[in-house]
Amino acid sequence: MPKITFRHEDGKTVDIELQSGITLLEAARLANVAIDAPCSGNGSCGKCRVRIAEGTPDSERTRHIKEEDEKNGWRLACLTKVTGDVTAEVPDIAAAYRSRMKIADISSGKEVEIFTRIQEDIAAAGIESGCGIRQIKLTLPEPSLDDTMPDDERLERALKAETGAEKIDVPYSVLRILPGMLRKEDFRITVTVSEEDSTLKVLRVQPGDGTPACGLAIDIGTTSVTGILADLYDGKILAKASSGNGQIRYGADVIHRIVEQEKEGGIETLQKAVIEETIIPLIRIMEKQAGTDAESVVRLTIAGNSTMNHLFLGIDAGPLRREPYIPAFFSCSPVRAEELGLPVNAEALVHIMPNIGSYVGGDITAGTLASMVWNKDDICLFIDLGTNGELVLGNNSFLMSCACSAGPAFEGGDISCGMRATDGAAEACRIDKETMEPELSIIGDGELVGICGSGLIDTISELFRCGIINAKGQFVREGERVKRNEHGMGRFVLATRSDGREVSITEGDIDNFIRAKGSIFSAVMTMLNALDMDVSVIDSVYVAGGIGSGINMDNAVRIGMLPDIERERFHYIGNSSLAGAYAALTGTQAEEKIAELGRSMTYLELSTVPGYMDSFVAACFLPHTDASLFPSVQ
Amino acid sequence: MPFTKKPHAFKAAINEVTLGTGDKAVTIGGENTYPFYTFDNTTKNKPVIGAEVSDIGYENEPEGYKAFFGTEDMVERAKKAAAMDEVAFICLHFAGADPFGANKSVEECIEKAKAVAAAVDKPLVIMGCKNLEKDTELFSKVSEALAGKNIVVLSAREENYKTVGASAGLAYNQKVSAESAVDINLAKQLNVLMMQLGVNPKSMVMNLGSAAAGYGYEYVASTMDRVRAAALGQNDTQLQMPVITPVSTETWAVKESVAEEADMPEWGSREERGIDMEVVTAAASLSAGSDAVILKHPESIRTIYKLIDALC
Repeated sequence: MPKITFRHEDGKTVDIELQSGITLLEAARLANVAIDAPCSGNGSCGKCRVRIAEGTPDSERTRHIKEEDEKNGWRLACLTKVTGDVTAEVPDIAAAYRSRMKIADISSGKEVEIFTRIQEDIAAAGIESGCGIRQIKLTLPEPSLDDTMPDDERLERALKAETGAEKIDVPYSVLRILPGMLRKEDFRITVTVSEEDSTLKVLRVQPGDGTPACGLAIDIGTTSVTGILADLYDGKILAKASSGNGQIRYGADVIHRIVEQEKEGGIETLQKAVIEETIIPLIRIMEKQAGTDAESVVRLTIAGNSTMNHLFLGIDAGPLRREPYIPAFFSCSPVRAEELGLPVNAEALVHIMPNIGSYVGGDITAGTLASMVWNKDDICLFIDLGTNGELVLGNNSFLMSCACSAGPAFEGGDISCGMRATDGAAEACRIDKETMEPELSIIGDGELVGICGSGLIDTISELFRCGIINAKGQFVREGERVKRNEHGMGRFVLATRSDGREVSITEGDIDNFIRAKGSIFSAVMTMLNALDMDVSVIDSVYVAGGIGSGINMDNAVRIGMLPDIERERFHYIGNSSLAGAYAALTGTQAEEKIAELGRSMTYLELSTVPGYMDSFVAACFLPHTDASLFPSVQ
Repeated sequence: MPFTKKPHAFKAAINEVTLGTGDKAVTIGGENTYPFYTFDNTTKNKPVIGAEVSDIGYENEPEGYKAFFGTEDMVERAKKAAAMDEVAFICLHFAGADPFGANKSVEECIEKAKAVAAAVDKPLVIMGCKNLEKDTELFSKVSEALAGKNIVVLSAREENYKTVGASAGLAYNQKVSAESAVDINLAKQLNVLMMQLGVNPKSMVMNLGSAAAGYGYEYVASTMDRVRAAALGQNDTQLQMPVITPVSTETWAVKESVAEEADMPEWGSREERGIDMEVVTAAASLSAGSDAVILKHPESIRTIYKLIDALC
């Protein structure tokens, strides 16, 4: 059998022997070598580039690899079949993820302000904080021949005396270290307990005064994962971090992930990709930032879409993608962190934000809490612009939700120069109609790196306004900045960087984006139609997601992504899923409210609405096939 | 209570578009009712029939067809077809231009088109070979060669509407058909793009896509229905172009019209089957809203003509 050698950039190699005919991508997966393959290996995304150093495998010609690169040995791993011994050089995927998926949720002053206001709004709505976890400093009476009570009873008694609780639960993990610690610390300890009804459960014992009890709120997005480490006593944010979801190499969207999960051992692989390769490194980063240790984490909340929730818990998500689209669960009782292999306190419980439907999950129940739509008299619309676009329409008397597949475009995925809203991203753009010269505003002080969602909206809106692209997103005006490749595909050059790399937006990018915006707009219209309403009933629109706080609502309307209502009615609320997960972390009442919202929300499955596809095609046009829906756009 | 008739003519109407020049020029469109709803209003211009004359494939035509035309010569066949009273226009189908087929040169096609134009006084519709690049070139050059003849170019598609629309519609003032694939939104989007390019909507017709009856035809019918409903009921000016539907190119390509009697004795005469397929599809297209259908067999042409005559 041919020997396949994968060589990483750091020189490390992995060998595997497999039969001829297998593709390099499949071989890489079997050998556990990470190659970025958002399209799951059908040759369409062009991301799984490897360089053939030795050997002559059988490879299909693809437009994704330039002729010059092909001469230098670059191939797409998914289109390259092994015919004999081969050595392939693999680009450093971790670095690729990080650069592609840099995330800056709640890092800018504006985002922090939005986040803080959400928490204040939740409190103002009468939802009290407090998650029932507290710390008690105790000095236990030392045992003697006259006082021969065992250590656990000694602890229980002291806790009962201190708190008045009727029942105390001292778990094995605590018992195991208790005797040693008591004697070493002269019976002065700090106990972290969680209180439920009248039972106190001891979560942790620490020597002396101890360190604060912490919690973790994690938003698991299809494309990116974000976490907050907070002090459970006062809710103070100690650290935050984010990264790309390690599952990305198994496909860019939830359907590809489920397909991958259904393969043999897939459930474990996907769970490992999100926990071991994504969340654990995030925890390590936050630990370091906060100067605490993961042992102090005693409570976790997880907000993810239905598929992410399934894959995180290692539950078969297969039935989700097949008619009649059935999830394994909506809500799930808290899971011990240990069972999931999370390196936090052994007694910590992971609270999963409940799902509502097959494609509307905990990120939306949590986000709905954060959007405050449930507390309004007027009808409001909450839109989460992620890889899956989710919508919630309603007010304090009803809520309806639906999901549509927008693709990763809003977060910069599937866009040649796309990136999240972070340093170096063009977040806004204006183009001079006469000279076609663009004027960009870039996040941070550095050089332009790429375009984030809000920058894309601006650029496309401006290209359209200046007559450079037509309503189908094709280039119709020539100029210095309009270039075409050998297949005639046009692109608009926004800038050429000092390293010679071009930052541009191509017809393909525009097409991807038009589909993304079309799916959102048609979902809005389909949901309103289902309720026999039109856009005039909407009082406020809350837009969430990694698109960036720089989003220009006027341009978003001009390209037909959001309904044409007064621009003041739109509000950007940042990462609402994380904001909701944080509220649930620091408050049991918020967690209960989220569960209640989940139970009371109606779910509309768009794939069963006959008019949705039609409405989608009509929306794949700038601004829309039916111009009368956009009276303010001339 | 006595029955009071309440005619329901719409306030909006389909655009009138004239094809060809001189005495034999023909105007299609103009109606403000659903197809054949003569009880609502008289139909301004009756639907018409175009005769398809293809530059290849004569040897495979059924006997009756060959007996009628008697020659492979494209110009002679066009003359014979034009001599039929039932035929309003001639559709020259340059299927042979396909680079993956006979790959006839654009110049050769244009020579043929010019010869037909000189020999026939009925309006001409030029149909391409479905190869995007070849068609784009053919349509541009034929528009130039037949300048002043007011021909229809069938069709501009999303991928080549700029070139085709600019040459046929703008430079040479011919009529342009906008072809979309059985989807009301795509049809409208292409019309909007052509109009943004500067093509006068009154110089445009639509080919909404077609299929042989039984081959997903219900999509075609419902698309035509909805386009007509939007054009008339909602006064959607971007969908008020008359519709020309090529029928023969679809129906004569399906197994019912292709299978020889020797292979399928239980199906009976191949020619009769082919005519039947053509007639039922054309009848359905007309009743769904086509202002013109393109047919091939003289027998089908005569039958459909009778149908139109009886209904309007």
